[in-house]
Amino acid sequence: MKDVLVIGGGIAGIQAALDLGDMGIKVHLVERKPSIGGIMAQLDKTFPTNDCSI
Amino acid sequence: MLDVGRHPNVDILAYSEVENVTGEIGNFTATVRKKARYVNEEICNACGDCVAKCPTRKIPDAFEMGLKNRRAVYLYFSQGIPAVMTIDPEHCLYLKKGKCGVCKKVCVKGAIDYEQKDEILELEIGSVILATGLDVFDPTPLTYYGYKRLKNVITGIEYERLINATGPTGGHLNRPSDGELAHKVAYIQCVGSRDFNYCNYCSSVCCMYAIKDAMLGREHDADSDSYIFHTDFRNVGKWFQKYEIRGKEEYGINYIRGRVAEISEDENFNPILWYEDTETREVKSLKVEMVVLSTAAMPAKGSDQLAKIMYVDLDEHGFVETGLPFPTDTNVPGIFACGFCLGPADIPESVAQASAAANRAAEVIFLSAAGKQA
Repeated sequence: MKDVLVIGGGIAGIQAALDLGDMGIKVHLVERKPSIGGIMAQLDKTFPTNDCSI
Repeated sequence: MLDVGRHPNVDILAYSEVENVTGEIGNFTATVRKKARYVNEEICNACGDCVAKCPTRKIPDAFEMGLKNRRAVYLYFSQGIPAVMTIDPEHCLYLKKGKCGVCKKVCVKGAIDYEQKDEILELEIGSVILATGLDVFDPTPLTYYGYKRLKNVITGIEYERLINATGPTGGHLNRPSDGELAHKVAYIQCVGSRDFNYCNYCSSVCCMYAIKDAMLGREHDADSDSYIFHTDFRNVGKWFQKYEIRGKEEYGINYIRGRVAEISEDENFNPILWYEDTETREVKSLKVEMVVLSTAAMPAKGSDQLAKIMYVDLDEHGFVETGLPFPTDTNVPGIFACGFCLGPADIPESVAQASAAANRAAEVIFLSAAGKQA
């Protein structure tokens, strides 16, 4: 079975990689910054619940 | 983030870029450049001894939006995955001039490797998901708002770092000019977005994040006053309208309908906003202590190049072109997209699209493994 390439390690890329991984598919998650997390990692809380970010 | 970091099926290639993708559905080959960190990822445990001794100090930290400086060897952010150091070759004295080498001397694990080279990986894959996200608009060309000219005018993402407990000020709203706490803050909406000169679309998240920012400001400081200057509120989503009302009733946020024409400042660097209140049809001014610009969000820099090498069509704004009945399918079979690269989307929408794209990609993988056409 072939792998999947996910380009971008923000919240969308992370979620896609997790879903595919859980289905038993190998994923390569490519991120250009030194670590994954994307914009959401820069946020403190998120709307509309004001819950803590990732 | 932690879940994906330790998932046995996910191989994280951070600090890497996709250079080429060839082939067709079920059978692509991707060329990925894994950039040299000059640190062995297997050995480094991010203890920070190298950072403490690095003599090159004054490099604006990109993660902190330049509100803090980092050193030439750095951890991108504290909870980042992979949790390893990176040496910035543009500023490292050893890599530039062959002098220094302090980090190598202090690293007890021997993780520093100045000889490391970029690695080119060839990956055999069946499907691709684009999730390249966004970059925020730089409001410097909008000179009437004075970003970078007036000290106490900042952007929304800079505010996010200031109010963040792990940020450069430890979560205090210390304004840039004098480090004093800002009690009276104005938020200006549609900076660059819904603007025919820059981004001719609504970024969709700014109304909500401005309300959130004002709420957080109030939670940190009960005496604070917030003013949101909006074109009109576009809070479309589950619980969003209620959130807007809560902002006004519980947090006392002042909503003013009208675009700000110009910002000037007084001798104490307090910004003065000149605006028309479109509800009373009067031209007014308001002196505040800090201004936050809710800047437009646009497709990430470089996403157009990436789309080009994969022959993926983009729309006039640079977002990936998709259609019905499969909103995460691109024009290239086997290549899917999700998140902000598809168009303005908030976090729950991006997550929903990501799951949809993952399912579409899984379909390709399972069908091609069974020898069937996807």
